[in-house]
Amino acid sequence: MSADTPLLTLLTTTPLFAVGLTLAAYLLGSALFQRLKRPSWLPAILIAALLLAGALALIGLPYATYQQGATWLTVLLGPATVALGMPLYQQLPRIVELWRPLAICLPIAATLAACYSLAIAWLLGSSDTILASIAAKSVTAPIAIGITEQLGGTVALLLGALLVTGVITIPCVSLAARWLHIDDERLIGFALGLNGHAIGTVRAFEISPTAGAFASLGMSLTGIFTAVLLPLAWRLISMGS
Amino acid sequence: MPALSGFLWLISYWLIGEVVIHFTALPISSGVIGMLLLCATLAVRGRVPTSIAAAAQPLIALLAMLIMPGVVGVFFIIGELAGQWSAILIALVLGTLLSVITTLWLLKRLIGQPHVR
Repeated sequence: MSADTPLLTLLTTTPLFAVGLTLAAYLLGSALFQRLKRPSWLPAILIAALLLAGALALIGLPYATYQQGATWLTVLLGPATVALGMPLYQQLPRIVELWRPLAICLPIAATLAACYSLAIAWLLGSSDTILASIAAKSVTAPIAIGITEQLGGTVALLLGALLVTGVITIPCVSLAARWLHIDDERLIGFALGLNGHAIGTVRAFEISPTAGAFASLGMSLTGIFTAVLLPLAWRLISMGS
Repeated sequence: MPALSGFLWLISYWLIGEVVIHFTALPISSGVIGMLLLCATLAVRGRVPTSIAAAAQPLIALLAMLIMPGVVGVFFIIGELAGQWSAILIALVLGTLLSVITTLWLLKRLIGQPHVR
């Protein structure tokens, strides 16, 4: 192992190593996903993340070092989030058509998305820090990090909660849609984005551009709604107890 | 280079979002503000310029890859959560299932199942 270390240090002086590793894991994960005939319970991103984590452990690269290099990729999340404004605009007529039901559904569904899990975790005796870390579990990562810092949670745990929530949302939506006899891509997309943030939205774009646009809408509205109300509600509840 | 100028647009909107947050102290991310601004601009112009489409489409297709580095971090904090993670997992999985069912049920009640046109 010790012979590898100087080489590893040399390679990780440039962010290209982390970027290359990420690209390789992503492409390999996508290829495996296709080979497995696109299972809905195992999204491509989970396969890729497992491969990447395995690779990091195997070559003994500390996560912090990897993360530093990968900033060259993650910085693109900003413009990529802005880019979602395009499908949002293209689907605007269909969204306007449904504005009333969506406006009624959103506050209820976004509140419940946080409350169900909080209630279950609280009943199972989780600590306040854990509750604060998973409260924003259905919110897209850049917004959720801000919320979690305000609530006093752990960001690393939040990202874990985001992954689990995003991944589990996909089979949950296909299960619930079949069960409730829903095949409207708009509803499925909205539910994917509202509950499963970016991971659900990525999945919705695989279904169709319409589903993707409704998912972006659900994701951004949930993000804004939760960002404004959750810290306020949290403060009120903490004052009461 | 249409994609390049489109990319500059996206970055500019994101930066505008940062400025808006700085002055309003809104607890929203600049990406979301930029997204809403972009959508509003496109609605005013009435069409999507080719430059923006050329930059936005590939970026949206890459979203999954862009969140991967953050996602991988989870595997490195599992040790810190010894004894807690089963409760967290149950809460997340069960809570998400319940919330997905509620969302879809609510939407179905509010919108109904439209006939295939």
